[in-house]
Amino acid sequence: MAPEAKTRLSHRTRFVLGIYALLALPLAFLTVFVYLPFFWGFISSLYEFEIGASARFVGLANYREFLFKDPVTWPSFLNMAFLAGWGVMVRLTVPLLVAKLIHSLSNERSRHMYRILFLVPIVVPGVAIQLIWGIMIFSDGGLVNEFLRVIGLGGFAPNWLTDPHSALIAIACIGFPWVGGFEVLIYYAGLSAIPDSVNEAARLEGCTGIRKFFYIDVPMILGQLRLILILSIIGGVQTFENVLILTRGGPGFATTVPGLWMYYNAFSFQRMGYACGIGVTLFALILSLTALNLRYFKGAESLEG
Amino acid sequence: MELDVTANKPVPSLRGERRRKEWGAHAALLVFCFFTLAPFLFVLNNSFRSTVEQQRAFFGLPSAFVNMWSKEPVEVLDENLQRTLIPAEQCFSYFLNEATRGYQLAREVLHDYLLNTLEVCLSVALGVVIMGSVVAYLLARYRFPGSRFVYYYIIATMMFPAVLMLVPSYMVVRELGLLNSFWALFLPYLAGGQVFAIFVFKGFFDGLPEELFESARLDGAGHFNLYTRIVLPLSKPVVSVVAIMTILGAWNNFMWPFVTNTDGSFHVISSGLFVMTRTPVAQNMGTLYAAYILSSLPLLLLFIAATKPFIQGITSGAFKA
Repeated sequence: MAPEAKTRLSHRTRFVLGIYALLALPLAFLTVFVYLPFFWGFISSLYEFEIGASARFVGLANYREFLFKDPVTWPSFLNMAFLAGWGVMVRLTVPLLVAKLIHSLSNERSRHMYRILFLVPIVVPGVAIQLIWGIMIFSDGGLVNEFLRVIGLGGFAPNWLTDPHSALIAIACIGFPWVGGFEVLIYYAGLSAIPDSVNEAARLEGCTGIRKFFYIDVPMILGQLRLILILSIIGGVQTFENVLILTRGGPGFATTVPGLWMYYNAFSFQRMGYACGIGVTLFALILSLTALNLRYFKGAESLEG
Repeated sequence: MELDVTANKPVPSLRGERRRKEWGAHAALLVFCFFTLAPFLFVLNNSFRSTVEQQRAFFGLPSAFVNMWSKEPVEVLDENLQRTLIPAEQCFSYFLNEATRGYQLAREVLHDYLLNTLEVCLSVALGVVIMGSVVAYLLARYRFPGSRFVYYYIIATMMFPAVLMLVPSYMVVRELGLLNSFWALFLPYLAGGQVFAIFVFKGFFDGLPEELFESARLDGAGHFNLYTRIVLPLSKPVVSVVAIMTILGAWNNFMWPFVTNTDGSFHVISSGLFVMTRTPVAQNMGTLYAAYILSSLPLLLLFIAATKPFIQGITSGAFKA
């Protein structure tokens, strides 16, 4: 009896070891390229740290400098709030309207066709989209100013991205009319998941058109709305590629956002510790905004809906 | 659809009204479509026009395409603003060359970037599918000490935001001496990409019926055979979703290749497009626009060839939040 149990045990041990042998490489990659940077980010935010030089422990000095002393900080947060707020607003409205319009069509083929058409721009690299708007649409000889000249408003035509008054607005206008194919798909899935019985009841009660949209559709897709809200806020706090590509934060600091300031501190001024401090601050901001969202939208049910 | 309850009753007025309402919806959707796609149509149009032509008039069709078929000699202004007469018999080849000049220059610039991008995207997609499916399979089908910990260890990383990871990831890759190489992109993409893959694969494997594995086991299939003969063939749709999402993510990532390419020796399409705007090639507007078109073509082909998994993948990407 005893030896049999022993071989069974060793068989089991061999089995577990085999599993861990297969897991070793994926987990090692995860540890080195995800966990190590994550914790290193927190640790180096406590150091005055330049690449090539020795690090000096400074405690919370980086955070104090970023939050209270750095003159770029608050303007950059205001810019971020403007761009993120605008992003949230358009993503919660325009794609929902488009999804509702598509959903209201009776022909399955045209519903499919529209969803595909709005999704096509996803194949264009994000960098190319920013550059297209910067070079072809907002430059002095670009689409907007040429159009203004055609309709006789040429005198008004500013240099959108280099004028401090218009640069931030121009960046917010990129992507007009903001029909994100991804958001349309999400809202459309939500609208399709509304049970027929609900739609039927609404129709019998005489609840149609705009009233049905606000009293039936919107409450039924709160889960999708919350998802897009959270994704837009997370994206809005983090995004700075568009600003880097279009204006580099200028003119002056008119379009600088905190993420871009982190980028400059790390890769132009070599202040790695300070940059990590900005990264950690933004992480804390994202966490608290997401927690707030989840709390105030508790009523909304699962996203798969 | 829902309203079709009324379809068997003769209510022509309601149907007529509905059709009129749908015309309004179609009109609104077409306007949205037009404005969404117009910038790309302008880019396509301008990619065939010379810089001089674009500067003279922003709106206009490529004159080269008209002149190609000319039966009479055409007078042109060359780059030094000299008037030259192109004889009718040479018009076709001359103007064909004019129209595609942007593409010729863009192809030269993008050639290496495109090869690098393909190399990275395809190897990351392959690695992510293999690693992701194996790990997900182990976690979904076997109970072993630490399996829950391993699962949470992997899934927890979904909360790490890119903005926090950028600078310290750069420091790690730099310490490892990987800057300016294929590995600087491949290894971090693989490490991060597998998380989403594990999440999607595990969801799918959890739903596979137990009887399937029982019967195969009774037929004498080992662990490896179960995976290769039963699980992988069944998960083809999930494999394509994961592969497409990985390719899309790696293709579009701009920041990471841009900062890890300190000497510019291993640029990919997205970072290359940005760098290109600061080189002399950018003097020719047609080249820039042609480059945007060329850099979108591979994904457009993928989108057309695999529309369904593409759409599924994009919506399942929502759970990454």
